[in-house]
Amino acid sequence: MASETSKRELGHDDFDPIGTLALIALYFLLLVFLWLFMYFVEFLGNEPTVVGLI
Amino acid sequence: MNIHTYEKLWLVGAMLLIVGFIATVTYGAVGVGVTMIDDSEETIDPTQLDEDERFSEPRVEQVGENEYDVYVVARQFMFQPDPIEVPAGSDVTFYVTSADVIHSFSVAGTNVNTMVIPGEVSTMTVEFDEPGEYGIVCNEYCGSGHHAMEAMLIVQPEDEFELEEGEN
Amino acid sequence: MSAYIDDFPEEAAVIRAAFWSSFVALAIGAFFGLIQTLHRTDIVRIFDSTDYYTILTAHGVFMVITFTIFFLVGVFTWAVTTSLDRGVESLRFTWSWYLLMSLGTVFTAIPILAGFVDSIDMSADVLFTFYAPLQAHPLFYIGLTMFVIGTWLAGADWFRSWWAWKSENPSERIPLPTFMVLTTMIMWYIATLGIAVSILAFLLPWSLGLVETVNPLLTRTLFWYFGHPVVYFWLMPAYLMWYTLLPKFAGGRLFSDPLARVVFVLFLLLSTPVGIHHQYLDPGISEGFKFIAMTNTMFLLLPSLLTAFTVVASIEHGARQRGGEGYFAWLGALPWREPAFTGMALAGLMFAAGGFSGMINAGMNINYLIHNTLWVPGHFHLTVGTAVALTFMAGAYWLMPQVTGKPLASKPIALFQTVLWFVGMTFMSNAMHRAGLLGIPRRTAEPQYEGFEFQAAVGSVAELDAQVAIGGTLLFVSAVLFLWNMLITSFNRPTETLPSNVIPEPLSGSDDSPAVLDNLKLWTLIAIVLVVLAYSLPLASIVDRGGLFGPGGDAFPVRLSPTLVAQLLVDTVQEGLR
Repeated sequence: MASETSKRELGHDDFDPIGTLALIALYFLLLVFLWLFMYFVEFLGNEPTVVGLI
Repeated sequence: MNIHTYEKLWLVGAMLLIVGFIATVTYGAVGVGVTMIDDSEETIDPTQLDEDERFSEPRVEQVGENEYDVYVVARQFMFQPDPIEVPAGSDVTFYVTSADVIHSFSVAGTNVNTMVIPGEVSTMTVEFDEPGEYGIVCNEYCGSGHHAMEAMLIVQPEDEFELEEGEN
Repeated sequence: MSAYIDDFPEEAAVIRAAFWSSFVALAIGAFFGLIQTLHRTDIVRIFDSTDYYTILTAHGVFMVITFTIFFLVGVFTWAVTTSLDRGVESLRFTWSWYLLMSLGTVFTAIPILAGFVDSIDMSADVLFTFYAPLQAHPLFYIGLTMFVIGTWLAGADWFRSWWAWKSENPSERIPLPTFMVLTTMIMWYIATLGIAVSILAFLLPWSLGLVETVNPLLTRTLFWYFGHPVVYFWLMPAYLMWYTLLPKFAGGRLFSDPLARVVFVLFLLLSTPVGIHHQYLDPGISEGFKFIAMTNTMFLLLPSLLTAFTVVASIEHGARQRGGEGYFAWLGALPWREPAFTGMALAGLMFAAGGFSGMINAGMNINYLIHNTLWVPGHFHLTVGTAVALTFMAGAYWLMPQVTGKPLASKPIALFQTVLWFVGMTFMSNAMHRAGLLGIPRRTAEPQYEGFEFQAAVGSVAELDAQVAIGGTLLFVSAVLFLWNMLITSFNRPTETLPSNVIPEPLSGSDDSPAVLDNLKLWTLIAIVLVVLAYSLPLASIVDRGGLFGPGGDAFPVRLSPTLVAQLLVDTVQEGLR
């Protein structure tokens, strides 16, 4: 498939996956936001919670 | 082995996520005081619950000024006692065991949730600040009547609460 | 430059058989899935709620044991023979493990399906997890054992191929696809020990009446010793295709061979010593062991996060070669009209979402919120139900022509099918996650309870149910379209113009991989040490507390006659009043 549609041949040294870095940076931010939301809002806000014996 | 600079960056990001997740959970345990169900109770023969001082009569028991113990038996397809009534503003410790198969004791819409395994006793302490009514469900499949296994937990206003003698 | 079947016609026949076993399971599993989704949302009911669990058992076992693992053995046979460029050592041996797996499936299926027929005194309504003291008919355990032994022999087959190849190519690196197969199989050998001990030492003798009791916490822990790595066993063939085929479909090359090897080594090391994270809310296991399991689990995120980068970068390489530009615009240059590409790309996208809910599941104390709620099936329908299943279906669009020599029946329908799966799963899984946060349990036949109602803060429970039902129905239609396409493909005329069965060379090749990565003995040893470290103390503690055969208790065959059920209810009520 590659040979039929490829417009240029990119070797190891002429390829920087900048698009991947951009996508994965967005994913990172999304994960951080969702984790904090799930832990501090959904979980800790869902009282009562099991706590230690006082 | 050469790793692309961008991938190294992501490797750092991934490690930060992992460490951050572990740190959050540790904060929940140490800072907030959320404890896990553990192995603090002795094992028990599920066929001999009748002989057991705690579980022969499933009940709510006052053990301190604002402290209550609740002994719960989960069995196909009910919880005993039902309803469970405790006063608001109290610390309630649940002791839950099973008379037959694996169940759970899960107070819907809260973080009170434990597996109930025959032979083991699950214990957890919960602070109930406000009056309210909660459904209790078994969320582990326990047989063909599993969907009918439910009970109620009623947290009563402090001044209305009265512990019935021999309640079970 | 030829199709797979031209080079390996005999092996292609085995792979076809494995794929068809897998697809039959998918058909049955999907049908039960549809019944379930409509039943538990109370939209269409053709069974009694008490039969829901027979359907659920069948759905679980057929989907995650038969569908996934039969497809896996097909893909792995393709990967080993293609990458070593040699046929299997003995076709008879290859067919024998296929037959053993098939026979095992039939044996397991008989007691499950007998659960629908009240006049047959046989059942296995124990769900995929078969937690004792719920008890299945012995045939259920025997069938599972045969199936697993079949997979062990399949692994032995691939190792034989590699050993034979190595003796002829002593100085060469293990070809990457074979490396992935071998590391996955080592992980599987270690993981299945748990289930082997659980069944052979405890559950089977117990179901035959040879031992009186079992320790429910012990057999449950042994199940989860196997139960987490099995999810990676489902996932690894999908990863293998993402690493080998997806870059090719995108018109690019794998970004890094060394990192792919690192990822598979990490899965071998970390997949097993984490199973206790399924037992965060179990009594009888100390908080310390749970915390250790969580730490291991969190580090197990690493190979998946690395995979996300490597695979996306490989796709991006394809897009750039096709003329793609910019930070995000290159995505438009990808071959979105190719069902094999689009299916895998959408599966990967959904895995990113499933990865997040998995991170939540891994967080120890947050399990109080989500454990055994509908959140959990919401999660694994994104992972095994999409990342794996949709990748398999997309892969089949390319692999089936390779092993049949026949062109795909309909490319547009294939493309539509992959998108439909994605849309259906978006509806179903999103609603399941949200329902889980309200405390709605998984594995139950009824949407609501008698004494109270689940309340939604945003939207309503009825809206969530509707989304689950719509999503589940779309998924069923998608599965039917897939199966239809496979069926028609099988009846197509052979063609001479199939794409060649070549896996393009990685950008950063195996010469760049440290040789130690191929030292399978070393990684096996470390994996075993990690498992011993993670499991010896918890298991010793469980046995020490409750004994090997538990503190007592009866067995509960799940199907009882109606009179027995009535008697049991009367008894328990009396017991409760006494």
